[in-house]
Amino acid sequence: MIKVSKLSKQYVERTAVNNISFEVEPGEIVGFLGPNGAGKTTTLRMLTGYIPPTSGTASIGGHDVFSESIKARQKIGYMPENVPLYDDMRVREYLRFRAQLKGLRGQEARQGVSEAIELCGLKQIKRQMISSLSKGYKQRVGLADALVNNPELLILDEPTNGLDPNQIRSFRELIKQLGIRHTILISTHILSEVEMTCNRVIILNEGKIIANGKPNDLSRELRSANTISIELKASTKIAKDLIASIPGIKKVSEENQSGGWGYFTIRTEPGNDVRESIVHLANTQEWPLREIRTRNATLEDAFVEITQSNTSSS
Amino acid sequence: MNTSTVIITILLLVIVIISIQKFLSGGTGIVILKKELKSIFYSPIAWIVMALVMLLNGFSFTAALEILRKTDVDETLIGYTFSSTSFWLTYFFIFPVITMRLFSEEKKLGTIETLLTAPVQTIHLLLAKYLAALVFYFIIWIPSAVNFFLFRISSADNANAIGSFIGAYAIIFLVGIFNIAIGCLASALTKNQLVAAMACFTFCMLHFLVGFILQDLPVPESWQGSLFYFSTVKHVQIFISGLIDSRQFIYYLSFTILILSFTYNVLEYRKWKA
Repeated sequence: MIKVSKLSKQYVERTAVNNISFEVEPGEIVGFLGPNGAGKTTTLRMLTGYIPPTSGTASIGGHDVFSESIKARQKIGYMPENVPLYDDMRVREYLRFRAQLKGLRGQEARQGVSEAIELCGLKQIKRQMISSLSKGYKQRVGLADALVNNPELLILDEPTNGLDPNQIRSFRELIKQLGIRHTILISTHILSEVEMTCNRVIILNEGKIIANGKPNDLSRELRSANTISIELKASTKIAKDLIASIPGIKKVSEENQSGGWGYFTIRTEPGNDVRESIVHLANTQEWPLREIRTRNATLEDAFVEITQSNTSSS
Repeated sequence: MNTSTVIITILLLVIVIISIQKFLSGGTGIVILKKELKSIFYSPIAWIVMALVMLLNGFSFTAALEILRKTDVDETLIGYTFSSTSFWLTYFFIFPVITMRLFSEEKKLGTIETLLTAPVQTIHLLLAKYLAALVFYFIIWIPSAVNFFLFRISSADNANAIGSFIGAYAIIFLVGIFNIAIGCLASALTKNQLVAAMACFTFCMLHFLVGFILQDLPVPESWQGSLFYFSTVKHVQIFISGLIDSRQFIYYLSFTILILSFTYNVLEYRKWKA
């Protein structure tokens, strides 16, 4: 569906997107992840033909986004960041206008509009002025606009930005539902969203792709560098030193202490399970051990790990 | 008319016809035009502008009638109406008001992005917005034509020559297409409607005042010919006398096309700044 090869965008002062390549297959829901300013919006704008790349090519459904811009754009439903809408139009009127703009006429346009209204839950407010809508509804109108001509590909730029938790949840459900019929490329910096909705994640940092894979794979990769939390009753100073002397442990940090119980977070080297040695140590030292558990790396950990290590190394 | 004028006229007409044909193809242009007209006439500003222009036209018209009634003159009613100070004083305020929001509002709201990422060609967008402003401009002048029409029915015909009538509306059309193009350009250049309005007013006025050099200052003989081309005041006088001059058609039409092509490039600027 999407083919991007060696795409770059160079501004006078900085490189916004630096030589990225990726593909999106039909039917996938792909999360485009990255800290603010990573180049997500720039990439999406290039895909929708709004700005040209400095070098490289991109195509949507086999049509180059620049040489066959109109054809490529016909396949895309795009919802830009912050969802720009005309304040002086009514919801249905706006969707009608957008449908006609995308080439639907007469009965086709009416049907597209009423389907989009149905799907996005805009029924009660279809006669309201857009200026009177809440943020959540405006966001839905933006999505309905992207959907109105039933495009093969949906490109959503931070669609849940500024919504409250309930709205985010229902939006996520909506996107999952849409994923059945459409290919979706969704940009966000909210990780739980990607973990729950996407088949694949592309992490972008400083204009480069630094990870590309299934959400689970990405966090599993990171799980090699594990974190163990333990809670035991001992003199913290001595305990810390003794634990640190166990082979395979990278770092021991003491989080807090109350009523003689010390809480430690231990980071181990990749592939080392040191839980047994810790229990053994506690036994020989006769420390009461109250808790020991490994913490699974989440996508959030992956994100922080990858983006920060990348930033500090560059 | 000599051959070069004919060739240029044909060339301009071809450009106009091609752009109209391009505009009609695909139908997205018409969709945007309809939406623009709707948003013009659904806003109170349009009606306020129309009412004020009607009021001022009525004032000019009454004043012209007074002149005709009191003194023995050889000018026409139309001549007095369209060359009075009150006419020129208000005329150039119309353009900023009509054109200022065309593109700057889209830029401010960010809707220019949704527009240009839909399968819409920039030329369609430009022509639709330009035509919407132009249609509104025509509608503004309809009430004034009604004045003359009623006068024609109700009076002897020596004061309202039909040539003068056609000439007057032809020059209002020509000056209009030119100044609205300037307004489009100003609006495409900025996000701020106020800046767009000021820029439009300034450039319309500047063009108008270049013409005034000929009127008011002692210019060398050799300059007069070229300055005449810029002199809107002179053009209006010529047309109102009933002479429809092809040179002015070519002048305003070619400048309109030039300025609209600038506007097109301003809208496409984001594409070639990379």
